[in-house]
Amino acid sequence: MSRHQYAMVMDLNKCLGCQTCTIACKKLWTDRDGTQHMYWNNVETRPGMGYPKQWDQIGGGWKDGQLQPSRQPTLDDYGAPWEFDYEQRLYEGKRKPVMASPDPISGPNWDEDVGALNGDDNFYFYLPRICNHCTNPACLAACPRQAIYKREEDGIVVLDQERCEGYRYCIAACPYKKIYFNEITGKSEKCIFCYPRLEKGEVNACAAQCPGRLRFVGLLDDMNSAVHKLVHVYKVALPLFPEKGTEPNVFYVPPFNPPKRSDYGKSILEDPRLPLEYLLYLFGPAVRGVIVRLEAELTRAQKGASSELLQLLIGRDAETRYQIRPQLVQIQPRIG
Amino acid sequence: MRAIPRIFFGFFLPFLFVVAQSSDALAQQKPAKTAPPEKPGLSLRTATPSARMEALLDPMSAEWSKLTSQRIALNRTPRLYDTEAPSELELAFVDIRLARTEGKLLVQMIWRDPTQDTAGIAKLPSAPTEGRPHKELTEATDRFFDSAAVMHPMRLRENDVWPSLQMGDAGDPVTIYFWNAARGAARMQAEGRGTTKRTGESFPAQASYGNGSWHVTMELQDVPAGMPLAFAIWNGSQQDRDGRKYFTTWLKLE
Repeated sequence: MSRHQYAMVMDLNKCLGCQTCTIACKKLWTDRDGTQHMYWNNVETRPGMGYPKQWDQIGGGWKDGQLQPSRQPTLDDYGAPWEFDYEQRLYEGKRKPVMASPDPISGPNWDEDVGALNGDDNFYFYLPRICNHCTNPACLAACPRQAIYKREEDGIVVLDQERCEGYRYCIAACPYKKIYFNEITGKSEKCIFCYPRLEKGEVNACAAQCPGRLRFVGLLDDMNSAVHKLVHVYKVALPLFPEKGTEPNVFYVPPFNPPKRSDYGKSILEDPRLPLEYLLYLFGPAVRGVIVRLEAELTRAQKGASSELLQLLIGRDAETRYQIRPQLVQIQPRIG
Repeated sequence: MRAIPRIFFGFFLPFLFVVAQSSDALAQQKPAKTAPPEKPGLSLRTATPSARMEALLDPMSAEWSKLTSQRIALNRTPRLYDTEAPSELELAFVDIRLARTEGKLLVQMIWRDPTQDTAGIAKLPSAPTEGRPHKELTEATDRFFDSAAVMHPMRLRENDVWPSLQMGDAGDPVTIYFWNAARGAARMQAEGRGTTKRTGESFPAQASYGNGSWHVTMELQDVPAGMPLAFAIWNGSQQDRDGRKYFTTWLKLE
């Protein structure tokens, strides 16, 4: 276990699905050769296919202490970007509006806002995803070249581009499919939790740019951090697919009270707009207790009591949401 | 082309049993020194042709067909990781020709492989990406390419004591000439399994694929007689990479 552990909590009740985090990450880290299919941060509509498609079904992770098999995602699974027919429109006399060409049949966020039906009502929510910087990373265990390591000082999982030979066992092993292959460099890449920013005291780009202010970042072992309070004190933030056994350090506050046409204000347990089964699928049985706790806190606040938890979740300013501690995390150069 | 002597298989079978242990056992075991082939027919013959090196670098050159080739049986590594699907032996042997010329050792490897797994991969541009409108694209994320390699110890030790076939031993390093159908040639060094490092150097290598066979030539720095060589082949369509490959044992250079 690392000495400290940076963690992120994302409140799914606040996510707008605007993809500003995705673009912030893309512009900063994956606007390079061979990275056109990579979104180290993506936001997917749930229920939905996800990115890469059906990543939650294709394997990886741990079971009974053993790594589980998986196939490699294809470029189609990621959703290849497409071009537009500007040339025909601008130079070849085409009179119709500019269109995607060839006609795309898939994309990285193809089923955005589709969701599913619950009775007659459509439901969906957004799930932003980055690397989970797991405590028990399957990717690290799967690499025969020790190219992946977890930084002792802050728990961030990084992939050494010098050691990597592009074998892609890590991609298969990650149950969240958050490692990507760059065919131009012949090496795999992943989210680095913006460690160069953290080392300067700046929060991750995805969090800094989020207009919904739904991300909380800090050291999980820092008692004063929002992430510590949300995960360990109030116990309202859960990892995705805990049964995969990798012990993620990215946590989610589940959607607990989405408004419904006729029953505004009633919870998922009382009058489910989202079927509880779907949240159980994503977050495991602990999600039930989280919804009960959040619901009780909301009821209390609606009766006029003050709620530190709800104030924290609102997270009006950066000081409330982020506790970046470069002075606590002294990074040593890696030998060998 | 000479047929494989019967005695060849007699020697190899017990060796295969040693190699075919579980991956855990392989990982924990200190690699054993590989015994040198004691039987005649297992050493590698080298020709000294009059042809210029440029001619011999062409894998289809008629100069090569003047030299005798040796047919070496290929072994398939056992399944290394529980998460990987088992893979059958699809490539049976490799034909080797060796030629010493102009202070170099030229190696020709020919093997049948019905699937040609290669692609034109764009080179990583040296210009910075910022402000460059065109970026090279990843064409596929799930393909692996055919490859071949020649390995030999970096030092020739007395009494035919050779380092482990699994990429040498700590303190007894190996040098590896690695050719990849899509990515070209690279020299590597290793001191045991999992320690392979690129040296940053390339070396002359050429390849040609036709009629279901690869012809590959590599130009090695010459090595003295008595030096053992080992050969490896990766079949991209079998998702070969890493230790998932075909290999020969050490073969002593005459």
